[in-house]
Amino acid sequence: MSPTKIPIDLILEKMAEDAEKAQQRVSKAADVLQGQLNTDLATTPYDIVYEEDRVKLKHYTRREDADNHQKTPLLVVYALINRETMLDLQADRSVVKTFLDGGIDLYMVDWGYPKRKDRFVSIDDHVNGYMDHMIDFIRAKHNVPKVNLMGICMGGSFSVMYSALHPDKIKNLVTTVTPSSFDTDKGLLHVWMRDIDVDGIINTYGNIPGDLMNFGFLLLNPARLMIDKYVGFMENMDNKDFVENFVRMERWIFDSPDVPGATFRQFVEDCYKRNLLIQSKMYLGDQRVNLKNLTMPLLNFYGEYDHLVPPEACNQLTKAVGSSDVEDICLETGHIGIYVSSKFQKMFAPKIVQWLRDRDSEDIVAAPEKKPARATGKRKSTVKKKVAKTGEGITKARKN
Amino acid sequence: MTEEEKNTQFNESAMFPWLQMVMDMWMNAAGSVPSGSKTALNAQNALQNRFTQQLDTNLNLLKSFSAMMKQPESESAAANAMKSMPDIFLKMTKAGFDAAMQIQNHLLEKAGRIGKRTEAYNFENLDQEVFRAWGEIYEKDIQPYFKIPPLGLTRFYQERFNEVLNKYNIFETTLAEFLSILYLPMEKSFKVFQEKLQQMVEEGNIPTSSKENYAMWIKILEGHYMTLFKSPDYTEALHRVLNHFENFMIVRNETMQDYLQMLPVVSHKDIDDLYKEFYLLKKRLKKMEKMLGISPNAMDTRK
Repeated sequence: MSPTKIPIDLILEKMAEDAEKAQQRVSKAADVLQGQLNTDLATTPYDIVYEEDRVKLKHYTRREDADNHQKTPLLVVYALINRETMLDLQADRSVVKTFLDGGIDLYMVDWGYPKRKDRFVSIDDHVNGYMDHMIDFIRAKHNVPKVNLMGICMGGSFSVMYSALHPDKIKNLVTTVTPSSFDTDKGLLHVWMRDIDVDGIINTYGNIPGDLMNFGFLLLNPARLMIDKYVGFMENMDNKDFVENFVRMERWIFDSPDVPGATFRQFVEDCYKRNLLIQSKMYLGDQRVNLKNLTMPLLNFYGEYDHLVPPEACNQLTKAVGSSDVEDICLETGHIGIYVSSKFQKMFAPKIVQWLRDRDSEDIVAAPEKKPARATGKRKSTVKKKVAKTGEGITKARKN
Repeated sequence: MTEEEKNTQFNESAMFPWLQMVMDMWMNAAGSVPSGSKTALNAQNALQNRFTQQLDTNLNLLKSFSAMMKQPESESAAANAMKSMPDIFLKMTKAGFDAAMQIQNHLLEKAGRIGKRTEAYNFENLDQEVFRAWGEIYEKDIQPYFKIPPLGLTRFYQERFNEVLNKYNIFETTLAEFLSILYLPMEKSFKVFQEKLQQMVEEGNIPTSSKENYAMWIKILEGHYMTLFKSPDYTEALHRVLNHFENFMIVRNETMQDYLQMLPVVSHKDIDDLYKEFYLLKKRLKKMEKMLGISPNAMDTRK
C-alpha cells in the first residue's frame, strides 16, 4: 500500500495566498480603524418624560402625520442586565424604528446604573414601584385605562409579575426570551445558579458587578465568544461596515450596569433555585404572583438556540397563565439574534406590530375592579381566540 | 579528666572572664556619665529620676546574675546546656528537614498521578491531584500557623490579618485549579485535532487552507467546552473558586474597615447602614405620596 501523498505544494501555495491577503487586509484595516467610524448606537430621538431615582422613562417620537397610529401605547421593559439600547443598535436594524413605523406610541424603561445605595432595592420595588409608577404615568398621559407591555429577558419576568399583579392596567402582554420556568438543565446558567452562594456574592460586592456577569456570560462559550468572535473581526477588519457594527455590538455588550443585590438575591433564590414563579408561589412584598390572574392576550417569543434562556425556560408560561389568547413563537436563533439579526428581526418586530394592531381595534374596556382570580375559579376572558397552547400548535419560524 | 574538672575548666576559660568583662563595661559606662548631665540628673529628685533608677536596677540585676552564675550548681547547669547546644540545633534542623521532605514526598506522590489523563470529550473525575495535594499540605502543615492565637492588645487585628493571608492562599490554590480545568479543553482539542488530521492524511483529504483547519479546531474546542461545562466536577470547581474568592474578599474588606477606622473617612459599613435607613425611609415616603396622589416623577418637581 503506497503512503498517501500530502499536497505540500498546494498547502504552501494557499499559505502564501493567505499571507498576501492578510498583508493587504492589515494595510486596509489601518485606514479603516484610524478613519472616521460611526459607532453610535441608540440614535432614534426620544424624550425623557419620567424620572424616579436612577430610573428614566424614554418616550420615542413617532410621525404624527402617519395614518397607522395605534391607540394603546406600548411600554418596553428591558432586563437589568445590559441595556435597552440593544433595541436600537443601528438605524437599519432597529426594533424601535420598526415599532415607530408600525404606528406604535413607544415608551421604554431605562433602568440606569445602580449604585451601592441601590443594593437594597428589591424586585418588589422594581415591579410594584418603578414599573407601576411609570405605567400610571402613561395611562394618565394618554387617558387610557390600560397599556400594552413588552418585556425582554429578566424584564419579561418582571412584566409577567406585573401583569399578574395588575391585570387591570395591561391590555396585551408580549414576552421575549423571558425565563419563567427555571427548573431545567438545558441552559448552563440554570445549572450553575442552582448551587451558587448568592449571599456570599452580595456580602462581597453589595450589588452584582456587571463585569463579573459579563465574565460569566463569556465563560458560557469561550471558544466562540473569546476566540472565534475576534478571529472573525481580524478577518473582516478592512470592512468599514463590519467594523462599525462589530464595535457597536461590543459597546453594547460590555455596557453592563450592576444588578442591585436584593433583586439578584430574590431572582436567584425564588426563581433559579426554587422555581416559584411558574408555580404561582412567588411573593413580591406581601402579594402572591398568581399567574392565573394574567388574563390578557399573551405573545411569547423565544429562541431555539438560546444558551442563556433555553426554550424549556420560556415555553411553560403560556400553559400556566389564565389567558386563553396565547401564542408561542420559537425562532431558530439565539438570545440576542432575535433583536439584532436582520433576518430574524423581520420575523419578530413586524409580527409584534401586527399582533398589537389586531388587538388594538378592540374597544378598551374600563379598568375592572382589582379582584385577583382564583386558580380554581373560572377564567374571565375577553379575548377571541386561543392560538396555541400545545407543543404541536407552536408557531415556528424556520430559516427557510 | 573527670566531668567536674571539665566543667571547672570550661567556666574558668570562658564563662567567668566574659561575665566579668560585661560587668566591668556597664559599671564603667555608668561611671562615665558627663558631669553636666550628672548635674542635671542630680538636680532631680532621686525618686523622680527614672533613667538613673532604671540603670541602677539593671546593674544590680547583672550583679546578682553574675554572682548566681559563680555558684557551682549554676556553673554545672550552664556547662551542660552549652554542651547540649549542638544536639539541640541538630534536632531542630532535622525536624525542619524531615517536614520539608515529607511535604515534597507528599507532593511528588500525588503529582505522580497527574499522568493519568482523562479521555477526549470526557470530564468526569478530573485529575486535579496536584492541587488537591497542595490543598492538603496547606491545610495540614501551613494553615495551622495562621491559626496560632495572637495575644495582646492588637490580637483582634492580627487575627484578622492572618485570616486575610489564609483566605488569600486558599483562593489562590482553588483559582489555579479552576484555571487548569478551564485549560483542559484546549489541551484535549489539540489532541483530537491532531488525531483528526492524521486520519485525514491517511484518507488523503487533508485540508489545504488554514481557515479550514481553524474551523475544524474551533468546533472541536467548542464541543469540549460544552462537555466540560456540563460536568459536575467543573460546576463544583466553579462554585469552589467563587466561594473562596468571596471568603477572601469578605475578610479583606473587614480588614480594610479596621484600617479605615483609624482614618477620618467613612467606611462602606457605615455607608451601608445609612443606605439601608435611607432606603426604608424613601419607601415609606413613596407609600405616603401614593396615598396622597403625589407623583414620584422628578420631572414634575423640576418644572
